[in-house]
Amino acid sequence: MLAVLIPVYTLVVMFGFAGGNLRDMFDTATRIDTGHIQIRHVAEKGAGAALPLIQDPAKIIAALDQTEGIEWDTIRLDLPALVSVGDRSQTILVQGVVPEEIDPISPMRGLITDGRYLQNTDDGVVIGEELAGLLKVGVGSEIVILGAHPETGLSVLRVPVIGIYNAPTTEMGRMVVQTPLAVARRLANSQSAATAVVVRVKGVTGPWDVGRIEHVEAQLRDKLPAQYEVLDWRELAPQVASYMRIMKPALFIFAAIFFALGGLVVLNTLYLSVMERTRELGLVISLGASRWRVIRMILTEAGLLAGMGAAYGALGGVILIWIVEAFGGFPLPGAAIAFAKAVGMNSVLHLRVTVSQVVLSAAAMAGIAIIAAWYPALRAAKLEPVEAMRYVE
Amino acid sequence: MLSNPLIETKDLRKVYTSGTVETPALRGIDLELIKGEFTAIAGPSGSGKSTLLHLLGGLDRPTSGDILLEGKALSTLSKDELARLRLTNIGFVFQAYNLIPVLTVLENTAFVLELQGIVRSERIARARAILSELGIEQYANQYPNRISGGQQQRVAVARAVIATPAIVLADEPTANLDTATSLDLIDLMRRLNTERGATFLFATHDSRLLGRVSRLVTIVDGLIASDEEQQDIKSAP
Repeated sequence: MLAVLIPVYTLVVMFGFAGGNLRDMFDTATRIDTGHIQIRHVAEKGAGAALPLIQDPAKIIAALDQTEGIEWDTIRLDLPALVSVGDRSQTILVQGVVPEEIDPISPMRGLITDGRYLQNTDDGVVIGEELAGLLKVGVGSEIVILGAHPETGLSVLRVPVIGIYNAPTTEMGRMVVQTPLAVARRLANSQSAATAVVVRVKGVTGPWDVGRIEHVEAQLRDKLPAQYEVLDWRELAPQVASYMRIMKPALFIFAAIFFALGGLVVLNTLYLSVMERTRELGLVISLGASRWRVIRMILTEAGLLAGMGAAYGALGGVILIWIVEAFGGFPLPGAAIAFAKAVGMNSVLHLRVTVSQVVLSAAAMAGIAIIAAWYPALRAAKLEPVEAMRYVE
Repeated sequence: MLSNPLIETKDLRKVYTSGTVETPALRGIDLELIKGEFTAIAGPSGSGKSTLLHLLGGLDRPTSGDILLEGKALSTLSKDELARLRLTNIGFVFQAYNLIPVLTVLENTAFVLELQGIVRSERIARARAILSELGIEQYANQYPNRISGGQQQRVAVARAVIATPAIVLADEPTANLDTATSLDLIDLMRRLNTERGATFLFATHDSRLLGRVSRLVTIVDGLIASDEEQQDIKSAP
């Protein structure tokens, strides 16, 4: 039974860690930056990687209103710019957002360590601790932002720092400056410009819900004029999508190794069990059991042990995950915390396993155990009764 | 010798081969048994008694010759057909009792019926009836290791006769029992023979048993040395 219990238990826990890791990466990508879907203008990117401007995002919003499955959407205006204070300057990305709508794709409000987060009517910015350090500014300091979008030309803003945030990644803390949409539009010399409409889809809890996102994408492609492109999180965060693509076969290989090892252990255990019970099996055969009956006996025994082992293993794995989550998740070890912060992930991993992963792990291992039991069962069925009853261990 | 034999062997030979060494165990046995007989095959150790019993029970195949059970040649049967024949036509009692240790007395007794696919309620009823008939019903729920050797051998006899086979083959059934228990067991089997008409064939060199059988076949060096009907059959004191 242990031969099945241990692999299933290990697999369920491994899926828990992998699932938590995938969800964390997905959440990090979609909540910090991309959303599930973005609608952008199809024109080529301009100088300085500036996104092409959408001059009338209201039409897109109207199309979204008629689309099923959308949980939330907001307009964003991302502008590459230069920030300057005295003789210090730094290239930045100004994110014009609607502060009262931005929470579903931005953790910024919760990251503020000094000052406060933005309100819609503010005429100021929040900056990262890294940028504040580079520019040697604090809350209340004024900074000068020089915009140079290729479609709208040069513009200059002098705005105060309203808040300073602790960014999940160093690059974000150095680069991303958030400001209300109206302020960013002044920098773009436009009253209505946007670079993207960011969308979150209902019912999406992780990358495994990609079907829901694709369903909304398909509707939007039908509804929107050709000058707009609909990009999903995989196109917006290709490095995350690549990582997940690598994770799947890696998980499959790990699972296959566990299944193979489990199968071999079951085969070995049952083979030894058949050898130990040679006399008993010889007796059963001599009393008139057919070969098929002996095979059925061994397979039934294997099935019962495998079923119980799989059930207990799955239950044990789920209970462990439940206990870890009840204590607030799995805290990453020291070295991993630095890595997690560098890529924007939490320092605590929340394990996550699906019912289908648990059921499939248990069913697959039980199935493999029963397949592995065939060889010992066939050996038992081929025993000659007289020789088997003379057998001495 | 007799008409309509239950079992008939024709020039039955068995040679055991180990590498290049050939050891003949049976060297041409011609034997007929009729239904209802209570027969012992006697002979010294290594004379071929157990080998003959194994061949008659379809547990092993002869090197040459044939065995007919109710006219059917065992040599024509496949492994599974032989198993079926053992299940329905032959009961076995072994020297070492050979009960299944993880089953209770009741389950051991009913095991053959289970192999025959008989429903549980009927199995239990028939097992209880035979255990009662053999005076060991009180041990029905015990495991074999909790009862004495004599009681275990009674359970083995119950298992052998429960499905009313054509013949019960008993290989040294009293070899591990003390005298009183042996005599009890012999009389029990004799009773089953007279009351139920069950046919018994023993392989034994137990003199206590030899005086209680109706026919005594003696084998020496793989050949029948004598075959005698016994008129003066002893019974329990």
